[in-house]
Amino acid sequence: MSRRLHINVNILNAGVFGGSWRFPDTDGTASYRIEHYTSIAKKAEEAKLDAVFLADGPSLDPSVRHRTGNNLEPTTVLARIAAQTERIGLIGTLSSSYNDPIELARRLGDLDYVSGGRFGWNVVTTAGPVAARNFGRTGELDHALRYRRAAEFTTRVVAGWARRTEFASPQGRPVVVQAGGSSDGRRLASRVGEVIFSADQDLDHARAFRTEIRNGAVTFGRRPEEVVILPGLSTVVGSTEAEARARRELLDQILPDAYARNRLAGQLGISLDGLSDDEPIPAGLLVDPDEAGGSQTFYRVVKAIIDREKPTLGQLLKKLSGGGGHRIVVGTPEQIADDIETWFRAGAADGFNVMPDVLPSGFDDFADHVIPELQRRGLFRTEYEGTTLRDHLGLGLPAVPDEAYERRPLDAVR
Amino acid sequence: MSTIIQLAVGEPSGQRADGPALVSIADAGAIAAVAEEVGVAAIRLVDGSASGRTLDPTVVGAYLAGLHGGVGYVAEVPTTCNAPYNAARRVLSLDRATGGRIGVALRAGEGDEVSQATGPEPGATDPTRRWTEYARVLTRLWESFPREALIGDQKAGIVAEDALIKPIDHEGSFYRVAGPLDGPSSVQGRPVVVADLHALGALDATAVAESADVVVVDRERAAGADAALTEALWHVGRSREDVALLGRVEVALDDPAAAAALGDELRAWADEHRLNGFELVPTGGTEAVVTALRTLAPRLADVGAVSSPPTLRAALGLREVAAVLT
Repeated sequence: MSRRLHINVNILNAGVFGGSWRFPDTDGTASYRIEHYTSIAKKAEEAKLDAVFLADGPSLDPSVRHRTGNNLEPTTVLARIAAQTERIGLIGTLSSSYNDPIELARRLGDLDYVSGGRFGWNVVTTAGPVAARNFGRTGELDHALRYRRAAEFTTRVVAGWARRTEFASPQGRPVVVQAGGSSDGRRLASRVGEVIFSADQDLDHARAFRTEIRNGAVTFGRRPEEVVILPGLSTVVGSTEAEARARRELLDQILPDAYARNRLAGQLGISLDGLSDDEPIPAGLLVDPDEAGGSQTFYRVVKAIIDREKPTLGQLLKKLSGGGGHRIVVGTPEQIADDIETWFRAGAADGFNVMPDVLPSGFDDFADHVIPELQRRGLFRTEYEGTTLRDHLGLGLPAVPDEAYERRPLDAVR
Repeated sequence: MSTIIQLAVGEPSGQRADGPALVSIADAGAIAAVAEEVGVAAIRLVDGSASGRTLDPTVVGAYLAGLHGGVGYVAEVPTTCNAPYNAARRVLSLDRATGGRIGVALRAGEGDEVSQATGPEPGATDPTRRWTEYARVLTRLWESFPREALIGDQKAGIVAEDALIKPIDHEGSFYRVAGPLDGPSSVQGRPVVVADLHALGALDATAVAESADVVVVDRERAAGADAALTEALWHVGRSREDVALLGRVEVALDDPAAAAALGDELRAWADEHRLNGFELVPTGGTEAVVTALRTLAPRLADVGAVSSPPTLRAALGLREVAAVLT
């Protein structure tokens, strides 16, 4: 069979754009109710997507005054979706820094069993001091230590799943998803990641990233086909190009300005106070990405835009639109399908983690119009061929990765 | 009288156990449908059983509530291996998803790896003191983002009135937790906290008085439980009406005709010890649980009781919405 796309929908509360919750005819607080998530998951299953994806962090985003945040714990949401669907894969984000490995291995393994082998665990190390303070710390853990713990934690959890004799998973064990693009994150991806959720603006860079991860996997004794790379893709769909552009314009207009500035300042680790929209970003204040704290992935993406395009603050805010740095495509279903096909055929992606502009309307448009276009081109399935997430992703059950006990016992978050 | 029924969900061994047996996840779905139909307050999902390993109760509760949302679910969660912020978030998420039908039976135990690394008093290990502090953190976190704060004013560009959302800044012997939680409180105010006073357990009425909404006593501990609880509640400024006292009983109903006599006996027992209801523990597997639900549970309900209470609190005879903590 020819190579096929893999497509997840990232149910990022009200949508990836900062103003999504204010979009006309959108219920502004729908993302605080469970039906928002279950109904999008049912729609995703009708569209034969690989999985729904839930981002998460154990904290309240301080920007809650101006934008909706993730607000329901993923394992409870996914267990409910499992009860109300049959095939769609279920990927949830859970922190390796702020969970106990024994409890997490058991809970996630049980969710996998209850869902009939549809679960995938997106391992994140959880950046930032806000989450740290909910677990007894005063500030975030050092980046390298976070990733060293993540490697140990993840390999230990996977080994635990592999040893299970009760509640055996129909897919062998849950799929490990990894989303960090820093040097430490890429090493973790090569070691244990089976699906990589990446962030890339540029096709050549994305192709190099995919090659690096696949080659890295080989150095850990894995086969390159055991890794599925899905960049994030923010979509703005219109029935005509003009309609799509108008939708994008409107999303800029309704983006709460205070939110956009605060988010960018947080990502860059510098103050933007006193900087007007028509002034350039003071690039001299920005450190090398490997030196940055917080999320290096998004720092790297945004810094690259600044270095390349030298935008004013206003231009940069508009380009990101409160979305953080994932690539945005704006156009008709055919144009978006063209873009997806180009990246796929160029070897820059195995598919995409789709982040609709506004939920649910942006995903309805994607599922109703872009997916059928991809199916017409023979790039996407028209029926599920299996029942588990591994089946959908074309992943077999590879050998258990070596446990990464560089230090014993497991480094706690001190 | 309100009734909770205990259920251990796992992989049935096939052997007939003396005590409560494991039921499969598929059978648990069928049992939940019956529980919903006969109108018990909740299904209590046990964590670990003498018959074998159980599935994670929060996962099972979320799954079953997605199939049968008309009955409450009480998930057993131990302090062991669970940082309180994570447990609080998971249980509140469930409570919000079910429209206020969730309780947590918090089990006394040890700590978790993440919290222990930063515990304010590294030498603190007493499970009773830990339980009290843990329950306090849960209840405070559950109200840290009040429902009223979520306004979603699209015109003004304000999602939440963040001045109403407050950190709890807890610093105790076992935990240091800033908060607030990331989502609003549920329609029943807070999830229900269930505390077990086992004969050999770590908890007594004093330890649970501040935070428990439901106290469950074993048969041999029922005598005097009401008086001890009343006094303990008085010391923390609460009244006996704020808490449901349930008596836990194993029931073996081989003959459905025996249900009438057992029902009368249990009601008399409850009256004698001023219990507000029961936690039924059917011995045997799926069939035993269904028999208990169909034949015994209706005999324990009060005549004229509200047929579909809006929240788990209401189903337990408590205030429909929890009073805000001070």
